[in-house]
Amino acid sequence: METPGRPQRYTLRMRDAKPTTPEAIERDFLEQGFVCTGEVATTLYLAEQLKKPVLLEGPPGVGKTELGKLWAGFHQARLIRLQCYEGLDEAKALYEWAYGKQMLYTQLLREKTGDLLSGATDLREAIGRLSGQADAFFSREFLLERPLLAAITSTEPVVLLVDEIDRADEEFEAFLLELLSDYQITIPELGTIRAGRPPRVILTSNDSRDLADALRRRCLYLYVDYPDYDDELKIIEQRVPGISDKLAERVVRFSQSLRKADLRKQPGISEVVDWALALVVTGADELSGPTLRRTLGALLKNREDLDHVMSELSRFRS
Amino acid sequence: MIHALQRFFDALGESGIRTSPAERIDAVRAVEDVGVEDAARFRQALRATLVKRAGQRVAFDETFDRFFVAPGRAPGRRRHRRAGAGGESGEQKNTQRGEGQGPGVPREPRQSSDRTRRSRQRQPSQREESQEMRGKLRALGQGQQERWGRLRHVLAKKDRAGTGPLTSGRQSAIALRELRRGLSGEEEQTLAREVRRAVERIRLRTGRRLRATSSGRPYMRRVFRDSQRTGGVPFRLPRRRPRHRTPRVLLLIDVSWSTAPSARCFLEMAGEFLRLGRQTRVLFFVDRAIEVTETLARWLDRRKPGSFDSLLRSIDGLNLDAPSDYGRMFHSLSTSSTRPRGRRTVLVVLGDGRTNVFDPLDWALDEIVQGCGAALWLVPEPIGVWGTGDSALPRYLPHMDTVVEVGDLRGLTRGVTEMLRRL
Repeated sequence: METPGRPQRYTLRMRDAKPTTPEAIERDFLEQGFVCTGEVATTLYLAEQLKKPVLLEGPPGVGKTELGKLWAGFHQARLIRLQCYEGLDEAKALYEWAYGKQMLYTQLLREKTGDLLSGATDLREAIGRLSGQADAFFSREFLLERPLLAAITSTEPVVLLVDEIDRADEEFEAFLLELLSDYQITIPELGTIRAGRPPRVILTSNDSRDLADALRRRCLYLYVDYPDYDDELKIIEQRVPGISDKLAERVVRFSQSLRKADLRKQPGISEVVDWALALVVTGADELSGPTLRRTLGALLKNREDLDHVMSELSRFRS
Repeated sequence: MIHALQRFFDALGESGIRTSPAERIDAVRAVEDVGVEDAARFRQALRATLVKRAGQRVAFDETFDRFFVAPGRAPGRRRHRRAGAGGESGEQKNTQRGEGQGPGVPREPRQSSDRTRRSRQRQPSQREESQEMRGKLRALGQGQQERWGRLRHVLAKKDRAGTGPLTSGRQSAIALRELRRGLSGEEEQTLAREVRRAVERIRLRTGRRLRATSSGRPYMRRVFRDSQRTGGVPFRLPRRRPRHRTPRVLLLIDVSWSTAPSARCFLEMAGEFLRLGRQTRVLFFVDRAIEVTETLARWLDRRKPGSFDSLLRSIDGLNLDAPSDYGRMFHSLSTSSTRPRGRRTVLVVLGDGRTNVFDPLDWALDEIVQGCGAALWLVPEPIGVWGTGDSALPRYLPHMDTVVEVGDLRGLTRGVTEMLRRL
């Protein structure tokens, strides 16, 4: 609540200074339906205290991206997400010059340019006159902010989620180093832009390729693994309202046994939640063969895995 | 704590997890933030800042356990040589509380079924342990009980009325003053005089005892044999020539700030009677034991008033700012090759037993004491505060033979005498 009469800057800081403790993080995440382990809470707490980025690594579907979203919600901060992919470059991630706008302005200001150049005796003099004005076309007016620059220049609290960094090229990793260590970005035409309010940064990786040591060293590291039986049961009870205790236990036992099997893609948390929701919606109260045949597509996303599981159903259900 | 973390970083490096200075700074800051009270958070803070790859997690956990979680007693090791040594309060509590709790780190909750079951068993509170100890000490002092564990003798201030020559000397105020408090320059000089007097008194008493036994005990069997041969004329009383066996003394001296004044006086007095190096080894400790026999011998030869502090500061590896950790010290001594062995070895511990809530690891003391002939604990605190706060004396005392209250100079005199009696 803002106090009347206080300067806006002060109230903004007060709102941002939410008391953060590992216990508060665990509690808040649980209220939002996310079962947060002590390790996750401690790492996020330390990220806040040490002003460091967090590198979340782990198999797909264990809630890494969700964690970033919740972290933004916890701080009532704007989430800026950068989805990485092969070929991602500065132009897509950081900034781009608005060439169209520059061209348009050039056309519109043709007369003004003519006035400027009138009276120039030779080409050298004309270039000299133009070069003094060229910076006007490479100013913030013509800069298109991409996620990284938006996070740096934001005056409001921001959580920057760099998702699946392992999909990006190594060059992009190197490009991120300056941002992660000093919260600043260098644009050749404009110079170095330093964040007035350092964003909270979360990077996720599916460990599909090895990230550089330099990047790892700038981050707090957290490996998010598949949850154990107890944690997964809590997640299912939290995320699937209306599920019976018996069915929840069976679902979790089944998914745990699948993760021990030799499958091409092991089911993540999100798939198990989807599957449990599907079971509840279809009114199933036990994992019979026909029920599994109807709903298992929500859990397994690969034809070979489906065939393998259905052929050895008794083993996984036991 | 920084020193402990520094050693931990080195241990990580040996396990293949190399850490940069920046990461180490982050780790120290993280520990400052989360504290060490919650073991799980402490581990998570270090892991988040020092581990950078999934493959390093196992090595980190192993190193962390090795470094911060105190080990339990080796399963095959004999626990009690003597009946009653350690007793119920020693052994039973060891199995409940000794494992999974590291120096500097409280117990971490685990999923292990054995440990969960153990943790559900009710453990006596610190207050209960303290009350139990007072009852036992009172019963021992009044002769209502013969022993508590191995402990037989409790020599406290109240018992001092009948100690004869030791209390008959001049009683100055300094002699009765608790040494834990700081002394003025004048008091220092008075104390030095009193120490010399106390040494003389002990020397006289010890001298009489040694003279009485210097020629050996009568050799009765030989008396009859010799007398039969000569008809008893002239009558000779043959004596057994006493075998010269040098007893080995191990002095474990807590030199943290609260006990350093008592330690200094004790060493000045004991140094007059013990041959450091030949028969006596001296280890100073705060959080770990450091061998100082030679250094101390040199200091005793040319000591100056007030120079004990500079002596302590000059000892490599001795961190006076560290919190006292008796458990770690006892454990490292019990597993080292230099741990005392032999029934003629006398162990003397001088310290208040305040472990800063670290695991006392009293079973480690038990293993050390089992290798000794006698074990004496000198407590530089009034008996009224033994076992209070973070004191682990209720866990340690059942493993000792004798405990002496050495809160003042006269108590120290008593302590030195008790030590010499066992040589």
